[in-house]
Amino acid sequence: MASLLLSAAPMRRHVGLVAGALFLAALLLASWFLPLPYDPIRPDATATLQPPSAQHWFGTDSVGFDVFSRTIAAAGRDLPIAFGGALAAALIGVFLGLLATTKGRGSALLMRSLDAFQAFPLLVLAIAIVTLTGNRLEMVMFAIIIIEAPRFLRLVRAEGLAIREARFIEAAEVIGAKPLRVLLVHLLPNVSGVIAVQLSIATASSLMVVAALSFLGIGVSPPDPSWGAMIQAGARQMTGGQWWVALFPGLAIFLVVVCLNLVADALDVILERSSR
Amino acid sequence: MSTTNTEAGDAPSPASTELMAPAVGAPRRRRAFWGLVAKRLAFIPLALFAVITISFLLVSIMPGDPALAILGSTANEQEVATVRSQLGLDRPLAERYVTYVGGVLQGDFGRSFFTGQPIRDEIVKYLPASIELVVMAILLAALVGISIGTLAGYCRGRAPDKAVRVVIAGLEAIPGFLAGLLLIFAFFYLWRLVPSPTGRLGIVNIYPPTVTHFLLIDLILAGDWNGLRSTLHRSMLPVLTLALAAIPLFAKITRTTVGGAMGSKQIQYARACGLSEWRVVQYALLQARTPILTYTAMLFGAMVGGSAIIETIFSWQGLGQWGLKAIVALDIPAIQGFVIVTGFCTMLVYLVLDLVVAALDPRIQHG
Repeated sequence: MASLLLSAAPMRRHVGLVAGALFLAALLLASWFLPLPYDPIRPDATATLQPPSAQHWFGTDSVGFDVFSRTIAAAGRDLPIAFGGALAAALIGVFLGLLATTKGRGSALLMRSLDAFQAFPLLVLAIAIVTLTGNRLEMVMFAIIIIEAPRFLRLVRAEGLAIREARFIEAAEVIGAKPLRVLLVHLLPNVSGVIAVQLSIATASSLMVVAALSFLGIGVSPPDPSWGAMIQAGARQMTGGQWWVALFPGLAIFLVVVCLNLVADALDVILERSSR
Repeated sequence: MSTTNTEAGDAPSPASTELMAPAVGAPRRRRAFWGLVAKRLAFIPLALFAVITISFLLVSIMPGDPALAILGSTANEQEVATVRSQLGLDRPLAERYVTYVGGVLQGDFGRSFFTGQPIRDEIVKYLPASIELVVMAILLAALVGISIGTLAGYCRGRAPDKAVRVVIAGLEAIPGFLAGLLLIFAFFYLWRLVPSPTGRLGIVNIYPPTVTHFLLIDLILAGDWNGLRSTLHRSMLPVLTLALAAIPLFAKITRTTVGGAMGSKQIQYARACGLSEWRVVQYALLQARTPILTYTAMLFGAMVGGSAIIETIFSWQGLGQWGLKAIVALDIPAIQGFVIVTGFCTMLVYLVLDLVVAALDPRIQHG
């Protein structure tokens, strides 16, 4: 019984990884290349608030936008922002995190100021940053970096400090490797696994931030489709019973986040296993 | 592992705490604890000063012209210059900083650019509503989250654990505002179980005389039981929505710590003593106490102000909704006040947390 479970577990993890990654790739490719049934930025004023049907798979909203076309098209906007923001945050956070493993006084100061910084409600901070800087899309990325980079920093620092105690680091230092070389050649490869896992988690949480911001109408320019903005458009319809306007973009967010977390879980297990 | 479920009346002393008993004597511990309290209290003014400075810089250094936001993009340069000088924005940064800090220390946060109301009055009006919402949501989330987390941690790897993990993963993937809308659709539109999501009190109810600014407490003080029932009824969906976001966090941390504790020496010992499984779980929870408290404080800090979107959906009229409106309108004094209050709330919660943990956990050395 136990041996059966053991052999099945890694298989299941790979299934999670493959399924999650495939869904995300399919969604992204569809948003770029799939011929959509309707123009996602041109509403049909004669067909407003249609329930889901053969013509409009996900129905239409109060302006006459086809919800299916917009849900797919929005993936091409929301996913790259979320992933790009998470990636940029990873680069910055990992770099600073590696530096912070050197046990200088600056390192402690950095961690203390991070504590203070993270005491603020981060979503509100993101909203403030984007609004105060003129509501531009690139500022959404900047806000994501500010939220996510400290998490990478903490993670890499915590992992790095543990690895720093290892003999091979000591050996490298003894034979005269420069500090930067120790960080990049010896430390970085050993934390790359946790970084990959965190990147997947950070993309999911960035997507939530992007959705929350565009739900509030921040960082979006109106006709362009975005899941958050679409849910906002459907918010008023919820009390009137037209559930489809908000549900389908919401479902898209839900599925993407689930897939990203699946990938993160699978990576976690696989990398943990191979490192042992 | 098979354990006998006999109630052990002859083993009253809590095994786990005894195993963790500190080497330091009790009086010394107590003195060290009050030392910690004094130290942390002394730190407060410094941290408060930092929060005020951050809030000032956050808003003052960022590009974006509030004068333009007030007038709209059609205004000419003359008008913009006039408004800027009215707002005091034409003065140098250092001068504005000194004026602002001086004002805040006297409890004067300035006046709203738009409504002209003193910011302090608005904070006093809106903050209690947010606190009520967050406290109710955290209590609910803690109850549900800790329960299912304990279940999962106890049954690690078996069916209940897997079910809880699916629930956690699902809840984590739903944005709060979407959960709110879906709940409105189901409970208000489909089943008509709750009133429409518009504010805290029904139209027929009148607001009680303001005593504490906490609506629930004021209603109780006024003896308005109908009003109280109406308010609680209207609180159900917002509280549930906010709690749904916090349940996974409570469940995850409880599952991990209880799961870890179940394999610990203390639990082995408790079982070897023949304690009932119910007792054993209690000891496991005792070990999970500190991480759970830490998470509660973090959540509380994140939610005061972080509940802005939920408050807006349900027209809760709390601090978050007010702050969000201020941010979108570029109402600088309001934004600064909002940042200071949320930052200060978080600091206070962390302080209380540190002290509670220090008082409860004998493993933590003070000094």
